[in-house]
Amino acid sequence: MILHPRWHRHSLHCVLPPYLLRSIAQNGSSAQRAAALRTSAVDNTFRSLRFVSNPLGQRSPGRVIAGMMAESQCYRSIYDVEGQETFPGKLVRSEGQGATGDAAVDEAYDGLGATYDLLWEVYGRNSIDDSGLRLNAHVHYGRNYDNAFWDGQRMVFGDGDGELFNRFTIAIDVIGHELSHGMTEDEGPLVYFRQAGALNESMSDVFGSLVKQRALNQTADKADWLIGAGLLASSIQGQALRSMKSPGTAYDDPVLGKDPQPGHMRDFVRTWEDNGGVHINSGIPNRAFFLVATQLGGYAWEKAGHIWYEALRDTRLRPDCGFARFARITLMAASRLYGEGGAEDTAVRDAWNQVGVPVTREKVAVAFTPPQGVQASKPSTRRPQA
Amino acid sequence: MRIELKREGGLAFIPGLNRPHVFKLGDLPPAQADAIARSVQAASFFERPARVGTASKGAADQTRYVLTIEDEGRRNTVQLLEPVEDPSLRALLDLLKQVERTAVRAAPQSR
Repeated sequence: MILHPRWHRHSLHCVLPPYLLRSIAQNGSSAQRAAALRTSAVDNTFRSLRFVSNPLGQRSPGRVIAGMMAESQCYRSIYDVEGQETFPGKLVRSEGQGATGDAAVDEAYDGLGATYDLLWEVYGRNSIDDSGLRLNAHVHYGRNYDNAFWDGQRMVFGDGDGELFNRFTIAIDVIGHELSHGMTEDEGPLVYFRQAGALNESMSDVFGSLVKQRALNQTADKADWLIGAGLLASSIQGQALRSMKSPGTAYDDPVLGKDPQPGHMRDFVRTWEDNGGVHINSGIPNRAFFLVATQLGGYAWEKAGHIWYEALRDTRLRPDCGFARFARITLMAASRLYGEGGAEDTAVRDAWNQVGVPVTREKVAVAFTPPQGVQASKPSTRRPQA
Repeated sequence: MRIELKREGGLAFIPGLNRPHVFKLGDLPPAQADAIARSVQAASFFERPARVGTASKGAADQTRYVLTIEDEGRRNTVQLLEPVEDPSLRALLDLLKQVERTAVRAAPQSR
């Protein structure tokens, strides 16, 4: 398998038999694995799972199947909002242009590129919508603005107030986090409330962290597993916004308070704040991912990342998905990708057990495909439970 | 005039920044209090609907402010979702965030 630079790729989809693709996916180099898994995306088994079990046809009608694409091109545009809160601001760096010397502009540009590269080179995903979406970031938003957000179309980054927070582009995983919200919205969606919302947040932390680890070429045991390291100002007693490794330990400060994240279901926080605790209880699936990645060893974006990515794309991932259902979906993704009863399957099961989410694969079945014209399923009225 | 500002949402849930901040204009420096009073009037705050701004599909990590103001028998609560596009409301929010910022730093939360 030959991989050329981004804008000139060749693929050998139709030549290689499935067993060989699987072998490459499991044992090949990073580039070989990426290409093999792109090819696997059009394998009948995967294709059947995604489309037969998707009776509601959630995908865009004109969507291109990623595995059938041979090329992809990153298009980045960075806008300077110049302290205002209106869009789009002034275009200050476009794809291919050199560094501007403005740290926020250049960090945003590099962060978008690192996120794009992870998605394409590792998962064969053509930008966050898998259809080549152009990536726009808006920096220097507001005055002393202490946040970064995804508004459904664009990433927005404040400069921080310098007392509590530094500029929000300083953490590449935060850039990956915001972009990953776009990916989750495209693949899920996962409603932004309670456990589904916590999974939505966790997905962004997982892929944000993978962006960072890959940019630093870190194996799972070398990564800090922090989200937003460097973001807290020097006067703050803390390391980051969250810790995937040890939820609840990222900061403990007189002004900010103590990191409220749990790392186990026994400490699950029931609250109406924060959309039902989406940034709080995400600590539980975050830690599950950390445990899988460190148990499997090597680069987290490889096996653990692939398992989570396949789970995100699984059409059994309902908008109101709870932790237990998601855990089962990750277990099945591990079996599907790497074989039942293997180290990956075991690592996923053990990780969820360690965070208090016992997991079996039996309770999730491929969604029923109703006759045409009949509603596929009623929205769940049950309260999601782990 | 009594004002309560509560911040919700954002990239992380940070307990010390998500507490409601309550203050009276009479307790603020006169120039700051006058500026806020003028801004409340300019924004026609008491005529505003309960919610300003709508989250786009798929939006995440946006900050939402819940602002309650009481004055001379009148009371109104408005949820403001960022980005706040209305210039007069944005100007009022900026002034109140300055007060909030001072209060957060002056009174670390008790633990």
